[in-house]
Order: sequence, then structure tokens, then C-alpha cells
Amino acid sequence: MARPSIALTPLSRQAEVTAKRRRGFFSANNPWLWVAPAVVILLMYSVFPLIFNILVSFQHFRASSKTWEWVGFRNYEWMLFGNPLVGDFGSAIVITAVYTIIALGAQLTLGLFIALLLDARPWLGNIMQTFMILPMVTAPVIAGLIFRLLQHSDFGVISWLLYGVGALTKEEPLLGGTGQYALFALLIVEIWQWTPFFVLIILAGLKSLPHEIIEAAMVDGASWFQRLTRIKIPMLFGVLTVGILFRLIELYKTFDYIMVMTSGGPGGRTTTISFYQYTITFQNIRWGYGAAIGVFIMVVGWLSAFAYIKIFRVKW
Amino acid sequence: MAVSATKTQVDWRAIQRRHHFNQFIGKLVLTLVSLAVVGLFVFPIFYWFRLSITPYRYVFSLPPRLDFPEVTLAWWRVILGQASYQDTMREQTGTALAAGVGGGGTLGYAMIQPIANSLFYGLTSTAIVIIVATIAAYGLSRFNPRGKQNLVFFIISTRFMPAAAVVLPLSWLYQQLGLTSTYFGVMMAHVVINLPLATLLLKSFFDDIPTDLDEAAMVDGCTRFGAFWRIIIRYVAPGIAAAAVLCMIFSWNEFILTLYLSRLPEMQTVPIRMQSYDTSAGPTEWGLLSAAGTAALIPVFLFILSAQRYLIRGLTLGAVRG
Repeated sequence: MARPSIALTPLSRQAEVTAKRRRGFFSANNPWLWVAPAVVILLMYSVFPLIFNILVSFQHFRASSKTWEWVGFRNYEWMLFGNPLVGDFGSAIVITAVYTIIALGAQLTLGLFIALLLDARPWLGNIMQTFMILPMVTAPVIAGLIFRLLQHSDFGVISWLLYGVGALTKEEPLLGGTGQYALFALLIVEIWQWTPFFVLIILAGLKSLPHEIIEAAMVDGASWFQRLTRIKIPMLFGVLTVGILFRLIELYKTFDYIMVMTSGGPGGRTTTISFYQYTITFQNIRWGYGAAIGVFIMVVGWLSAFAYIKIFRVKW
Repeated sequence: MAVSATKTQVDWRAIQRRHHFNQFIGKLVLTLVSLAVVGLFVFPIFYWFRLSITPYRYVFSLPPRLDFPEVTLAWWRVILGQASYQDTMREQTGTALAAGVGGGGTLGYAMIQPIANSLFYGLTSTAIVIIVATIAAYGLSRFNPRGKQNLVFFIISTRFMPAAAVVLPLSWLYQQLGLTSTYFGVMMAHVVINLPLATLLLKSFFDDIPTDLDEAAMVDGCTRFGAFWRIIIRYVAPGIAAAAVLCMIFSWNEFILTLYLSRLPEMQTVPIRMQSYDTSAGPTEWGLLSAAGTAALIPVFLFILSAQRYLIRGLTLGAVRG
């Protein structure tokens, strides 16, 4: 009697073997193995700098003798209660807040307006939508340069227009002078470059709205304005919370425009926290103090973003 | 009887014609307003491009001109390294410049090398990002381990870091590892910047593919990795292409990390070279600056055309499906 040449293991045993292979650490079914390379790279960039900054923030680097000195909480005291260095942490926070709030408000309003225009299907709408993308993919450094030219006090187009309508004088231009309007000059670039983000995100939201609901509202006699404020905007809420989160993150990190256009001046009027931290670290070589500010920014940024995601239930 | 009926009869044709006419006018007004608003956003780029092909004597004309009174390629020739900065400036401004004046200085205005550097960093870092991110995204999409939400938040959180706070720790680390001012070091920085974006964007593409497909493949004898590599990855190929384009663009635009991790002039990328021009540029050099800037913008604009559908999805790390 010929028997099958393969020794058959009982089915139950076979299942056990497969299960074991599935459960082993180095199996393709271990999710952590899939994400490990990415996580390792990201740790180097996020957790390592945080630890490094925390360690350095308790020390003072003496540039003359190149030695480190343990100073306890002195750097944090400087941060909270003022310091003998140029610039002021408090004013940097105020400037960042003003910048963030104005930019976000303007971008949201303009973005909603333009999105509604494009959503009403003008001719050439698709081409216009494509053109709206261009500011967003322009390198911030180049955007800063373009607007430095447009806002130049002698031959800039924007300056020329503002002089023309009498909003500005040559003695107090957008860039330069006492710097009264320098933050405004930065805001113009910011709004130019990132309003399209809200346009596209709101357009995406509008397209995904269920038609039935809007049509039902029309049948019930809701006006255009009622449809907008009672139906469309509330239903855009999810999309808008995500968009606002990402703009907030980028806004408090604003750096490139300042570097190219004003270098934080005149007289620190455009020094945001991010640029303040940069000046302390690289121009004043106060590494300890700079690291303390870095820790502050990281921790506050993380906590507020985490709270935001929890409160508004942003889902990935 | 019949006469009174024709009197009360409504001329539907006329109403329809009037309605169509009103609609036409409405659409026309809408289009004109949209064009004006969108035009405001395109104007700076158009003006910049116009400047790059305008001779010196028209550059600073006010009120601003939007036409092309005369086209010159002089600025572009300098940018492409075919004419010398000194000669061009003498020819354009009509005055002799002292040697070494202007932002070109020692580096000259030739953009070939920074563009080549930017391309190199972009291509290599994008290749690495795509490999690492595709694998991670599959893992995040297909498994549901405890703490997955925290892991996703961790990946997003790397975006919250202001680059300035990361520069000092990273340059210390690079010094220890001997990576300062090396191509590899800068490339890794670009990898790190794009990794969160690519991972979460690709996760959203994987989420669109039903898991039944994996299971079917595995029932048919594929291993888990086989299901990923032979089946699923083919379905997300368009997503991978989109992610690669976005990574290229953000690598191309990256500024501060590259600035501090590479100190050698011959390793500079386009934005850094642009910024270095500007810091010492006199008022006469806007033609050159705009030509250099336009040269840096054109590839990005051409690139984004292929991935514009996915730009919003990428910028919101997959949270908003554009």
C-alpha cells in the first residue's frame, strides 16, 4: 500500500506553527517592524533635539574659553522675567501672536471668499484654480525676495500704490524707516502665499458636501446667505479645523520671510519667537538661553497641538 | 374666446431668453471678479518673471509697466553661466563697476551648480523617503496595534518643531558623526523634513485600498510582505508618484536646515544661494535676482501640474482628501 510521501502533520499542529510564525517578533505581521525605520529617523529629529535642548538649557556656554558651566534654572528665569540680552522674549511672543492671529483671520476670510467664487463655476475656473497653487509652491525665500522688490520704498509696486492712495508716506515706508509697518509687510507675503491653501481646502470641502442637503434647503426656500452660514460653513467645520491646525503650526514657526526681508528688525519689531531663538543662538552665541527657548517652544507647541487635536477631534 | 386666450398667453420664449441672458451676465460678472482676484495672486510671479527678461533701464519704471517694451536674455545668460556678471552689468547700466561689487562677489551669479545640488538633494532624499514611508504607511494602514493613534500623533508632532530649535542639536550631532558639510548629512535632513508628510499621505492612499485584497492575496499563498509588494503597492502607485512630487518640491524649497548643516559654498542649494545674493545685493541687481528666482520656480511649477490634485492632501498629512 503506497502511502503519500509527504508526512502530513495534523491540521491542528499546522495551525499552531503558522500562528507561531505570525506572532514572532521578526514576522511581517509585527506592525512595529513596518514603522521602525521611519520612527528611528524621526526620533533623531524630534526626541533627540528635545533631550539635547533640555540638557543644554541648564548650562551656559562660555564662547571665550569654550567651556560649559552648570547654571541651574537661570536661563529659564531670563526667559520669564527678562534678561540682559538684546530683544525681549515677551515682545517676541506678542509679535508672534499678533502675526498669527491677523494672518490666520485674513487667510480664512479671503480663502472662503475666493473658494465661493470658484465654487460658483466661473468660466476658466479650473485654470484659475491651478494658478492659485503657484504661490504655495514658491520657495518662501523667493517669495520674500519678490515682495521685497514689490514693497521697495523707492520703486516697489505695492509701495507705489500705497503712496498713491495716501496710506503711506515715503518717510515711513513698508520696509525700512522706523519699522512701524514692517510686520504688515511680512503679513502681506504670508497672506499672499498661504491664502490659496484655504481656497483649495475649502473647495475640496465644498465639493464633498452632499448635494441633497443643499437642494433640500433650496426647496425649503433658504436664501443663498442662509445656505452658506447655516449649512455650508457648519459642514466645512471638519476641513477647516484641520486647515487651521496646519496654518497655526506653520505660522508660529515663521522664519524664512523674516530672514530675507527684515532680519527681525527694525528694532526688533518683526522678531517672532522662532527668529528670537535663532538670534540668541547664532548671533549672540547664548546656546544655553537659546536652548531654553527651544524647549519652551517645543513643549508649548506640542501641548497646544495635542489639546487642539483632542478638542476638535481631528482624525487621521 | 380664442382671442382672449392668446392675450393671456405668456411668451415663454422671451422669458427663457431673458433668463439665459441674466445667467450669462451673472456668469460673466462672476468670471471677471474671479479673474481679478486670482490675478492679484498671480501678479507677483508674473512681475518677477517679466523683470527677468527686461533690460535695466525699464526695471524701475514707475508707474509700473506690465507690457514687454523690450526683451533681453542678458540676465539669463549670466544665470546660465554664459556671460560674465561684470560685462553684463557694464552693458546694462552703462557704468563701469568696481571689481567684486555686488552680491555675485566671489560666487558669481551662475545658478547651474546650486540647481544641480538642489536636484541631487531632492532626488536622493525623495528616493529614501518614499522607500521608508511606503513601508511605514503600509504598517500604519493595515495593523491596529495598541497606541497607534499616539504613533500617528508622534509622526505629526515632528512638524511642530521650529527648525531653528533643531539646528543646534543637529549640528552638534553631525559634528560628532563627522557629517557636517557632507552631501549625505544634508540629504538626511531633507529626508527627515519630508518623512512625516510622505508617511501620512501614503497611509491615506493605503486606507483607500480594501484590506480584502491583502487577505485574498494571502489566502492564495502570498506572504504578508508578498501581498504588500506584489499586490497592494501596485494600487497605490499613483499615490506614491504624488508623494514623490510633493517631497521634491518641499526639498527644493527647504531653507534653514540646509543653511546651517552645509557651510561650503559649492554645496549650497537654490534658496540659500538666492539669500546669499540678496544680503549683499545692490539696488541694480534685481534683473539677475529675478532671473535666478524664475529659474528656480519653473521646475517647481512644471512639477506641481502633475500632482496638484494631491497637494492639499499632502499638506494636511492626509487628513483632507482634496
